[in-house]
Amino acid sequence: MYDELSKHGYSRRETGTTLVFTGIDKLRVAASTGDFRKVATTYNELVKYVKEHRPASMGIINALRMIGEYLLENKLKGFTDYLDKLYKKYDRDCWEAARIAANRIVDGDVLMTISNSLCVRRVFKILVDQGKRFEVYVLESRPGMEGLDTASYLNDLGVKTYLIVDSAARFFMKNCKRVVVGAEAIAINGAVVGKVGTSLLSLIAHEARVRVFVVAPLYKFSPETIHGELLKLPEGDWRLLMSPDVREKLPENYRAKAPIYDVTPANLIDAIATEYGLFAPQAVPVVIKQVYGVFPPKLMDLDEIAGKLMGMEV
Amino acid sequence: MSLELDKRILEIADGIKTMRIRGAGKIARAAAEALKIAAQTYKGPREPVEFRRYMDRVAELLISTRPTAVSLPNAVYYVMYILEKTEGGVDELVDAVVRRADEFIESSLQAVKRIGEIGARRIKSGATVLTHCHSSVAVSVIKTAYEMGKIEKVYSTETRPFYQGRITTRQLLEAGVPVIQIPDSSVRYIMHEIDQVVVGADTIASNGAVVNKVGTSQIALAAHEARVRVFVAAETYKFSPMTVIGELVQIEFRPETEIVPRDWIDKHPNVKVLNPAFDVTPPEYIDAIITEEGVIPPQAAILILLEKFGWALEKIKHGVIHRVEFEESLHE
Repeated sequence: MYDELSKHGYSRRETGTTLVFTGIDKLRVAASTGDFRKVATTYNELVKYVKEHRPASMGIINALRMIGEYLLENKLKGFTDYLDKLYKKYDRDCWEAARIAANRIVDGDVLMTISNSLCVRRVFKILVDQGKRFEVYVLESRPGMEGLDTASYLNDLGVKTYLIVDSAARFFMKNCKRVVVGAEAIAINGAVVGKVGTSLLSLIAHEARVRVFVVAPLYKFSPETIHGELLKLPEGDWRLLMSPDVREKLPENYRAKAPIYDVTPANLIDAIATEYGLFAPQAVPVVIKQVYGVFPPKLMDLDEIAGKLMGMEV
Repeated sequence: MSLELDKRILEIADGIKTMRIRGAGKIARAAAEALKIAAQTYKGPREPVEFRRYMDRVAELLISTRPTAVSLPNAVYYVMYILEKTEGGVDELVDAVVRRADEFIESSLQAVKRIGEIGARRIKSGATVLTHCHSSVAVSVIKTAYEMGKIEKVYSTETRPFYQGRITTRQLLEAGVPVIQIPDSSVRYIMHEIDQVVVGADTIASNGAVVNKVGTSQIALAAHEARVRVFVAAETYKFSPMTVIGELVQIEFRPETEIVPRDWIDKHPNVKVLNPAFDVTPPEYIDAIITEEGVIPPQAAILILLEKFGWALEKIKHGVIHRVEFEESLHE
């Protein structure tokens, strides 16, 4: 079955939040050796991986920044405890944001979603536990088609689910009450970086006057954007859309461009659900000031941290 | 009276039904060809009344093969109309049908070229164009504009679930047009690079709404948001006379296995896979419809309907052309 699907470019990929969890696990394994060099090397590898493959994934970028700052200050002293705490915080924040989003969904709602997000899955889980009845339209979400994984999750929860192609979102929008999506990053102006297609889905919802909710714990917020930094959005090619044997049947000069993320402007989003509550995307700076105590929060660059760690005397 | 039809007519009817013959233009021409063969091979009594009844039966048989494809009844009505206008014996009637069918086929073939020329004039020089699915007329517009040196680049959507965009890409590459395929989900992402959108149509309703491959309406929406012009290229036989009396255009739902394999569906009893083939783009998102007769705003679709199918409109209004009538005659 998954062989057949790989012809269409189906592939499992980590959500922004699970990427943080696996990153912490890797550092934990390195730390268990008690060798600072090993930890620094693992850290450096993670930074490289994220910069290359997930440059807009703020969950892991923010986590690595905090971890790096801790290491610079404390080396390995209390490090595993710190990792445990961070892991728990991320996990809790994700649940809390999901809980707040779930409060906005009422019995009998029909939802539409795209891609595969851990926080959005948790919204569904909470709704089922609360005994709210709801149905979900899931876009297959090319490239990658991880919408199929969301549909599988909903199937196992016993939720009535409709799987549709990305092109059919507008066709079915009139049946829906709300759109619920995850995020890879939130910019200072409230713009949301999400799986490609999220901005189109939000536009379609906006046209049909269907509310759009983004479930994004504050660890998805990008402080770099305060300083005007642009989020880098990676693009793939035909490899994300088909298997090599399918490619072979197409003309030699066939070219494809497969963006992975897109930016949804704040005006197409009704609210962001975070662990601090639900607020308008344009209120992001206010919340950041509240949470960090200062505005703008000061930051170190990940490469700079990684460089310092690698060069540190132990 | 049993229908003794030439084998070639039954082959065409079957070909349309099983989608061996597909694409609005090919279906329409095949139907006209079948009517021509029917007239040429008529072996019944030399009574004009008998000949007309025989032709009606062939017409109904053809229309019944694909109830949702508008080009099919339009081609049939177009050819059959001549029987209303012609007086005389069976020989005169046969001649008239043959001439009328040839005329339809010829003008249909010419239409693709004409639309290509007219549409290409509307393309800005140095344009980056987005197209969806595969449409012979949209490809004709793009190719013609490229030959005029106007097109810089084309983006073509994959068009899930069937990937008709790969056919478009192949045809454009063969013509030397630089074309890049993108997934359907990324049309808003790419829209800021696009100057003009060119798509085809399956059916055009009397209010100017365009029924086309699912995804067209959200592309038009994204274009509208970005103030990018949207052109629909369509032969006049894509305009639906039935919609004038309020008839809705039926949207076909295709098999779920076109989207995911059977065993995936079996493993997910709570998931229903929905596969609509078409969607409806409202006229306010369309800047112009390019036909072989010229460019019209979508809201003027009724003009084409009156000009081309005025005679059919009268009959439709009086219920003479109606599916019910066809069903009754089947039971005769």
